[in-house]
Formats: sequence, C-alpha cells, structure tokens
Amino acid sequence: MIEIIFESIPSFWPEITLSLTFVISMIVEFIVGGKGKKSTGMTTGLIVLLGFTVTILQMPFQDLEPRLLFGTMITLDPFAAFFKYLIVAAGIIVIVFSMQSHEVRRQETVGEFFCFIAAMTFGMFLMAGASNLLMIYLSIELVSLSSYILAGFSKKLKRSGEAALKYVLFGGAASGVMLYGMSLLYGLTGALDIYSIQSTLAAGMVVDVHDWSFVVLMLSIIMILVGFGYKISAVPFHFWTPDVYEGAPVSVTAYLSVASKAAGFAVMVRFFYVAFFDSVLDLGKWGSLPLVDWNMIIALLSVLTMTLGNVVAIWQDNLKRMLAYSSIAHAGYIMMGLVVMSDLGLTAMLAYFVIYFFMNLGAFYIVMSVADRIGSEHIDDYRGLGKRAPVIGVGFSIFLVSLTGLPPLAGFIGKWMLFSAVIEAHYIWLAVIGVLNSAISLYYYARVFRNMYLREPLNGDESPITFSPLVIVITILFIIPNIIFGVYFGPLISYAQRSVELFLQ
Amino acid sequence: MDFTDILISLIKIVVMFGVVLLTVAELVYTERRISAFIQNRLGPNRVGWKGLLQPYADVLKLLLKEDIVPTAANRFIHTLAPVISIAVAFSTLAVVPIAGETIRLFGREVQMVIADVNIGVLYILALTSMGVYGLTLSGWSSNNKYSLLGGLRSSAQMISYELAMGLSVIGVIMVTGSLRLTDVVAHQSGWMWNMILQPVGFVTFVVAAFAETNRAPFDLPEAEPELVGGYHTEYSSFKFALFFLAEYANMITASAVIVTLYLGGWQVPYLELLNLPVGVTIALQILAFMLKVAFMLFVFQWVRWSVPRFRYDQLMNLGWKVMLPIALANVIVTGIVMLLL
Amino acid sequence: MSSELIVFLILAAVGVLSGILMITRPNPVNSALFLILNFMALAGLYITLHAQFVAIIQILVYAGAIMVLVLFVIMLLNLEDEEPLREQMSKRHYGSLLVALLALVLIVQVIGWNSGGTLETMREQSPHALRIGTVEHIGSVLFTEHVYPFELTSILLLAAIVGAIVMAKKRFP
Repeated sequence: MIEIIFESIPSFWPEITLSLTFVISMIVEFIVGGKGKKSTGMTTGLIVLLGFTVTILQMPFQDLEPRLLFGTMITLDPFAAFFKYLIVAAGIIVIVFSMQSHEVRRQETVGEFFCFIAAMTFGMFLMAGASNLLMIYLSIELVSLSSYILAGFSKKLKRSGEAALKYVLFGGAASGVMLYGMSLLYGLTGALDIYSIQSTLAAGMVVDVHDWSFVVLMLSIIMILVGFGYKISAVPFHFWTPDVYEGAPVSVTAYLSVASKAAGFAVMVRFFYVAFFDSVLDLGKWGSLPLVDWNMIIALLSVLTMTLGNVVAIWQDNLKRMLAYSSIAHAGYIMMGLVVMSDLGLTAMLAYFVIYFFMNLGAFYIVMSVADRIGSEHIDDYRGLGKRAPVIGVGFSIFLVSLTGLPPLAGFIGKWMLFSAVIEAHYIWLAVIGVLNSAISLYYYARVFRNMYLREPLNGDESPITFSPLVIVITILFIIPNIIFGVYFGPLISYAQRSVELFLQ
Repeated sequence: MDFTDILISLIKIVVMFGVVLLTVAELVYTERRISAFIQNRLGPNRVGWKGLLQPYADVLKLLLKEDIVPTAANRFIHTLAPVISIAVAFSTLAVVPIAGETIRLFGREVQMVIADVNIGVLYILALTSMGVYGLTLSGWSSNNKYSLLGGLRSSAQMISYELAMGLSVIGVIMVTGSLRLTDVVAHQSGWMWNMILQPVGFVTFVVAAFAETNRAPFDLPEAEPELVGGYHTEYSSFKFALFFLAEYANMITASAVIVTLYLGGWQVPYLELLNLPVGVTIALQILAFMLKVAFMLFVFQWVRWSVPRFRYDQLMNLGWKVMLPIALANVIVTGIVMLLL
Repeated sequence: MSSELIVFLILAAVGVLSGILMITRPNPVNSALFLILNFMALAGLYITLHAQFVAIIQILVYAGAIMVLVLFVIMLLNLEDEEPLREQMSKRHYGSLLVALLALVLIVQVIGWNSGGTLETMREQSPHALRIGTVEHIGSVLFTEHVYPFELTSILLLAAIVGAIVMAKKRFP
C-alpha cells in the first residue's frame, strides 16, 4: 500500500507545489506581517504568485496518461489538466488584480488574503481530479472554507460580513446534505470511489428497480446534486450568489465566478459521468439509472437557472450584483452541456469555460478599476464613462457583448457550440430557450452600454478619468482573446476535444 | 455476561467507592495538616486522635447548613453540576488497575480492575473532557457574574491543558504499543518505569494534571482574593460539600492516573523473583499502588502551599505556547528514537 | 432476553428520549445538555457494535469539545428562552413533515434490508469484522489507504483555524 503512495507522488508535483505555497506563505506572513506595515501583504502576494507560476510551469511536463493516484483518490487525465490550467491561470490573474485593488489593500491583514487564495487554488486542483467520495467532499470543503473567509475579508464593510455569514450558513447546510447523500450512496454500494460505484451499480445486484433501495439511490443522487448545485450556483441552490458576489471584494468575486464554478463543474461532470453512465448506450443516456429521465431533470434545472439569472438581472442597479446574476445565467448555459453528456457536449462546455474565463475576468477587472477610481459600483455612476475613459469604455463594451453572445466575439462561439451540442441530441426546445435567454440578457448588458455612451454624467463632471497604464494594458490583454476566439477558434476546440477524448472511464 | 459477572463488578465498584470516599475525607485532613506544617503551625489536632476525625466534623457542619439557591438560578442545572464533577472523577477510576495478578472468586478469574477496556487511555481523556461541564454549568447556573466568569475561566483552562495532557500520553502509548491500561502497567516491569522512558512527557502530564484539577498553582478560577469563590460562590451546604469532595476526588483520580501511566502502577521492582503466593503478591502490589498514589497526593498538596499562583494570562500562555509545543516535540523525538533503536 | 438486548433497549430509549427532550425544551442550555446525553447514548450504541474507537472519539470530540463550544456560545451570548415548541410548530409543519418523510424512507430501507437478521446473527461475525472498530485497525487503514485525505484534512483544518482568527481578530492600534 505504501508503495502505491510513493509511486503516486511524482505525478503529483503541481499539487505539492501549491500546498507548499500555502504553508510557506502562511509562515512568511506570520514572520513578516503585522505591526501595521501595509506593504508586507505584497511580499506574501509575490510568494503566492511565484508558487502559482512554478505550478503552471510544472504542469506541461506531467505525463497525462489517464491513471489513478493514491489508490483511487485522484484521477490524472487531460480533463483534469484542462481545468487545472484554467484554475491556476485564474489564480495568477486574480492575485495581480488583488495587488491593485484598493479594497483589498485597505484591510489590516492583507497578507493572509493571498494565503487563502493559495489554499482555495489547492482545493480546486483537488476538486478537478477527485474520484473518491471522500476526496470530493474534502476538496469542496477546503474551497468553501477559504471562500467563506475571502468573502468576508473587507471586515469594515457590513455587506462583506453579511456575505460571509450567508455563505457560511448556506454552504454548511448544502455540504451537510451532500454528505448525507454520499453516506447513503456508500451504504448502498459499499464503495467510496466512483469507479467501484459504477461497477457495483452496473452489475445490478445491489439496486433493484422495484425496491426501496432504488428510492434511496434516487434520494442520495438528489442530495449529492444539492451539494454540487450549490457550488455552481444552479437555481434552487443559488440564493447565496448575489449577496456573496456583491459583498465580497471584487477580485474574490471574480475568482469565485470563474474558477470555483469551473472546479464545481469539473467534479460534477466527473462524478456523474463515471459513476452513473453506461458507456454502451449512445448519446449519453444515464444508463445505470433507469426509470427516471435524468436528462430531463438536469435540463429543467438548466432552464430554471438560465431564466432566473437573466430575468432577475434586469432589475439590478449594482454592477457586481448584475454580474452575479449573469454568472448564474451562464452556469445555466453550461449546464446545457451537462444535459447531453456526449463528446460534443463536453467539448462545448470546456471551450465555453475558456471563453467565459476571458469575458468574466475582464468584466470584473473593469468594475474593480472603475470602483477604485470613482468609488462606486452603481450603474448610474457609469454614465458618460465612454467619453471620460475611452479604452475602459471600449473594453467593457467588448466584454459585455461577448457575454451576451453576439458575433463576431468569442461569447458567440461558446454559445454556438453549446447550442449545437444540444440540438444534435434532439433537445431543440432547450436550445430555443437558450437563445431566448441570450436575447433577454442583451437588455441588461445593453443598459450599461447605454449609460456609458449615450448618457451624460449625473453631476455634470465630464473630465477624463485617467487610469494607470497597467490597467489599460491588462484590459487590452483581456480584449484580445475575446476578439481572436471569436474568429479563430479552431485550436481551442481541438484542445478541448482532446481533453475530453482521453477522459478516463 | 451473566449474573455472577455483574455481581463481581458490583463488588469491585463498591470497594473502590468506599476506599475513595474514605481517602477523600482524609485528604481534607492531610491538606490542612500539611499546609500547617509547611507554614510552621500545627493545624487541626483536636477532633479524634491527632485530628483524624476533623473531616467528618467539617462535612457534618456543611450538611447541617441551610441550602441557599439564588432565585433566578436554574435549579436543575445548579444541582446537576457538582454531580457531574464528582461522577466524572469516580468514573475515571474504573479503568485503573490496582494489582497485576488475578484472584479466584466465585469460580472465576477476576482481574483487579473494574473494567479492562481496550481503549483505556482514551477513556480517561474522554472523561476529562466531560469534567469541564461540571465547572461550566455551575458557573452559569448560579446567575452571578463572578460565578460565570470563574466558571468560564476554569473551563477554558481545563480545555487548554487537555491538549497537552493528551499529547504527552501519546508518548506512553508509543512506548507501550497498546491503549489498554493493564498493558501499560505490565509493560513497566523492573526499574524501567515510564517516568524514566518519557521524562518530558511525565513532567508535561503532571503539570497538565495540576491544571486539570484546578489545583495550585493553577487555581486562579477559585482563588478567594480573585473571584470571590469562582464557580462555587453560590453553592452552600451539601452541594458545596460535593464540590469540595469532587476536587479531592479529582486529585485522587489524577494521582492514580499518573501512577498508572508513569510511575509503574502496581509494579514492585523484581517482586516476581521472590515467588510468593498469589495472595501475598496481590497484597504487596496493592500496597505499592496505594503508597505511590499517596506520594503523588502529597506532591499535589506540597506544591500548593509552596508555589505562588499563576496569573490567568500566564496560565493560558503556558498551556498553549509552551506545553503544547513541548508535548508535540516529545511525540516526534519519541518516534525518532523508537525508529532508530 | 439476552443482556445485549437489554443494554441496547436502554441505550436506545435514552437516545430517543433525550432527542425528543432536546427539541422540546425552550431553554437552550437544557437542550444542549440533552444533546450531550444523546451523544453518550449513541456512543454506547457504537460500543455494542464493536466500534470502540468511534464511540470514544464521539465522547471526546463531540460531547467533550464541540458541545462545550456550543455551551460557551449560548452562555456568552446569553440566549433567551425560545417560545415553546407547540407555538412554533404552526409555522414549521411543512419543513418538519418533509424531514420526517425522509427519515421514514431511511428507516424503512434499513429495516427492509435487515429483516433476515437478529441480534444473535449479527454477533456471529468473522473475527475480522470484530476487529474493524479497534484503534489498531483504524490506525493502519488511516495511514495506508486513506493517508491522502488524512493529510488533506490537516491542511483544511489549518486554513480553518487561520481563517477564524483572521475573521475575528482586531488589530490594536
């Protein structure tokens, strides 16, 4: 047994680097931080940045032949690697954002912020690869715990404390329900890792369709779905999202909306795909679970999520809250790919994540920079921004159009791939609802647009707002992929396809 | 598990109860005498021969007093708290072995321990955790801010030192290789008592035991000049007597546990070489055990009257920043030494 | 009426009664005390199932540490008595009904499966099954098969402890 552990360690270097980053940054913060010196937060931040860079440089050298590590705890395959790249890249960018954000720098204990980002990234890496119920739960808890603290980091603001409290209560309850479902599943199948669960269920001996055990299996899956749904802000479990996204510091919100959602989807896809799919049946029907049309249930959740996200966002005046509801809607779009677990559906999901990464992080960066300069996130304070800060205005417009999904920007490609996957699986009504929702989303994105370009500033102050060159450069860096992926998306799609094809069964 | 087994266990329990209650009573006496001699005076020597019946006079006085309970106090919990304290103290003694051989009673081999559980050490730690409730609840139920503060302080102190206690015991478990207390004592044969094998652990455990029993120099929560009476301010008559007795019972339990874990329990060095009949061996082992416990009790009382009291922040500092790292280091060093040997 | 059955019935009765009393008391400290009693009954039940380690850890951690924390919070926040359960039920009957239904499903499932066994048949297990709950076995499994989640839990706890202090600490000027 010990030999298996020692064999697994060389394949595990990125996670080891991340855990070392966490511990070392904690120690450095302990030694260097405190006593009112504000700049020492930067030291810890630089250490975490260094750790992330080392991680992302180690990752191309890994042998991505799909295999299990540490017994059945973690799977290493291109699917997991795809998400890990996304997560650590988001981590690096969020640290760069946080170092510029006034909201973070104003706090008394800046250094620990970066420690928790490191912990959260580590947890998300584990989520992307987890293939054992225990590991799934522990990694979700690690991510959730770090997010609770990061959400409440601006201690002086009341809304930050409210965000953290709501997050803790909701997350605790969701985790509890998920754990109960996991224990029921373990009791039914006698196995903790998803591969054994699949073989036990496929052998058909433990669960008899006409028996109580089937009801319990359904119940356990629904409860586990609660936990995953909470992580990806799917609709009946999304209540924490607007308050947390509004109350947390902007860089934390950006990180949560991109990386946490990506990790949640990764673990959800892996869990349902491996444990419950029958690879014999085509087009991704949930073979091991007859009698209930799970595709319909997930499709229903997807529709609810999209619709609620888009409709409620119409009334929002606070940009962070609006973007929160828009990210709920995007989770709904991505769930369409989950409905059809075909290769095309999963490829579409992965490609959409990359595009979403650029769109969403860019949008949040602009909100953060503008809030730093004019001190507000209210939509009325964005009036006239187009004239006062041209580059920012153009950048934000590009991000918003991409989020809506209009050609020729990248968002369109993402949505197009998802819709084509859905249509190929004969869920045409789902695609129609998706398109209608995109049309609805155009309204609230365009509102910001209109305020920026077609309205006069409220207090009549038309002086140009200067942003530092760094802000301009980063904005342009985010604009470029949005435009490029809108026309030249071939490599992205093929990379996503390769990540899905080698997915371990 | 039939009637005879239950009867035997009952007999053992009754014997233990009787002995401990008598000892507790005499501890009141010895405390006052020892403190008197340390302070160069005589102490109580009137009641009975050389004052030996003094405790009975004390308890009788307490019992005859009026039982005052504050109006707004929660009566149920007010009565429950001292019961918890004393119950925990007695229950811990159920796993302590007092002799090594077995006697034949009613046709069965009877071990000289009430319950030989295979998780004996953990059982002791668990009951210590439960002992916190006696103080916390008494402090709260009196509806008095001094009691509440005293109660919370002493519970915080007890919880902090539980950690150091548990970690130092790990050293003993590593050396013995078993959690069963009879194994722990049987392992300490000859002169190799665990006190010699685990010196740091011994010191840590004894200090932690002082803190757990709220005895000096850690008795800030109940010190008169500080917090009136601390958590037992509002207690009178029988319940106060119970708290009083509970403290001494805790002391006996702590001494018994220290003797079992570190001082060799009932082991008399090289007794087996003498090849005496079983009855004599058992009697000698019991005698050895009681002498060792008596010695530890003397140490408890000696320290109380020789050393000044810790301030509360010094106490917590010691528990978390000094004892915990030392206990952890002890575990690591023990592991390394065991690996190399 | 074997002695194991008697012990089981007593522990079960104490557990159920303390559970019921816990949710019906308006005074939060009384509720907490009944919960502690419930945990002790549960620990006793674990011991009858030969899971000694889980039983003692239940008392050490749950009844001995977590409930102390809960009591501290109740005492320091000076929580008032809640309104008696009878008046609360009118607002909460839907939620309680749902939870009771879920519990019923679980109970029916367990009883349905064990309809063939009695207390005696459960006792005639392989020696291995009797050893599973011992500390030695749990220790060996914890450090070989499950060493990775074990170490991960330590990082999780580190993040939690530091996080709690970051949230609660005030920097004194």
